[in-house]
Amino acid sequence: MATPEALGRKPLQVLEKIRENLERLNEKIEVMIELQKHGKKDMLPPMADAPLDVMTLLSMPDHLRKTAMTLCRMGRATADEISGQTKRARAVESAYLNQLVIMGYLKKERTGRKAYFYVERENQGGQ
Amino acid sequence: MGKIIAVHSYKGGTGKTLLSINLAAALAKHGKNVCLFDLDFRAPSLSTLLRVEKAEHYLNDYLNNTSDISKVLIDISDRVGNSSKFFVALANPGTEAIRDMSGKDRKWEMRALGRLLALRTSLMDGQGFDYLIFDTSPGLQYSSINAVVSADLVLVATTFDRSDVDGTRRMLRELYDLFEKKTEVVLNKVLDVSSKTSKDDIQTKLKDIYQVPLLGIVPCFCDILKAQGGTIFVQEKPDHPFTRILNDMVNNISSFP
Repeated sequence: MATPEALGRKPLQVLEKIRENLERLNEKIEVMIELQKHGKKDMLPPMADAPLDVMTLLSMPDHLRKTAMTLCRMGRATADEISGQTKRARAVESAYLNQLVIMGYLKKERTGRKAYFYVERENQGGQ
Repeated sequence: MGKIIAVHSYKGGTGKTLLSINLAAALAKHGKNVCLFDLDFRAPSLSTLLRVEKAEHYLNDYLNNTSDISKVLIDISDRVGNSSKFFVALANPGTEAIRDMSGKDRKWEMRALGRLLALRTSLMDGQGFDYLIFDTSPGLQYSSINAVVSADLVLVATTFDRSDVDGTRRMLRELYDLFEKKTEVVLNKVLDVSSKTSKDDIQTKLKDIYQVPLLGIVPCFCDILKAQGGTIFVQEKPDHPFTRILNDMVNNISSFP
C-alpha cells in the first residue's frame, strides 16, 4: 500500500510538470509577441549552429544585438541576469534570447527551473 | 577597476602602435599592471619595436587554442623601472603565420572572440592586471572588430588626412555606435598646435566632425620620427612634450568610471 508521503508527492510532481510546461508555453508566447512587434524580417532563416561572430552581430537588428552582445560578454546567463545588464524587462530579454536560440546562434539548457543561455564556441568546427 | 582598451584606426600609419606602446608604458609608470597585445596579425610589429627576442608561444597560438595565455605573455617590466607588471603578448611575424591568420573562417573568429573575452577573467580577475591594451589592424578586419567588441574603451587614432577623416567618421557611426562602445579620439600628427587658439579650433572642429570626446591632440614631433619606433618615449624621454600628453591621457583614462 502506498504511503501518504508517496501519494502526496505525485500530485506535486504533476503540478511541477504543469508549471514547467506553462513556462515553456509562456516563452513561446513571448517570442511570438516580440516577433509581432518587430516584424518577421528580424527573424533570419534558422540554421543549426550558426556562428555568432562579429559580422553576424553587426547585421542583427539593434534589439537582438544588445542581448547577444551581453550574453557574449557574460558567457552563460539566464534571462533575468541579462535583464540586469541591459535594464530591459526580463520577459523581453527572454523573448529575444529564445529568438536567438531559434535562429541557431545560442544554445539553451535547463537546470531545474532556470533556463541558461550560452554561445557554444568550443564544439564548433572551423579553422 | 581595470579596463580593456582597443587602439584602432580606419587607415594605417595613424600612429596606433606608437600610441599603444607608450600608453601601456605610461599606465605602468603610473603604477598600473598592464599587458600589451599585438592584435595586428597582418603586420605584427611589437616584437621588433620592443626588441623582444623570438617568443616560444604567440597570441596566434592562444587564439588557436594550442597554448595557454600564461605561456604567451612576456615580462618586460624592467622597461619601466618600477614595481608594476608590464607584459606583452606578441603576434607571430612569420609569413606562414600571417597567411594562416588571414584564412580563418567565421567559426574560428567566433571562438577567437570568446578567447579574447576570456582574458578579462584570466588576466584581470585572475592575475591582477589593471589594463589590457589591444593594438589592432586598421580598418574593418575581423581581428580588429573582435578587439573592439571585447574592449571597454576604444581609442581611435586619426589624422587630418581627408580620407582618414571620412573613413573614421563612417566607422564611428557604422561600427562603434552599433556596438555601443565608449569611444575617444586621439588626433595624431597635427602640424599646428602652437597656440591655445589653434588647439581650441581643432577641438571644436573634431567634436563637430566625430561627435565623440577627444582624448588628446598629438603634434607631429620630429623626435618621434627620428627614433624610428625604437624608443619607449614615455620612459626614455620623461620631459618630452609627447610624454606629457600621454600622461594627461592616462590621467583621463584612470578617471573614467
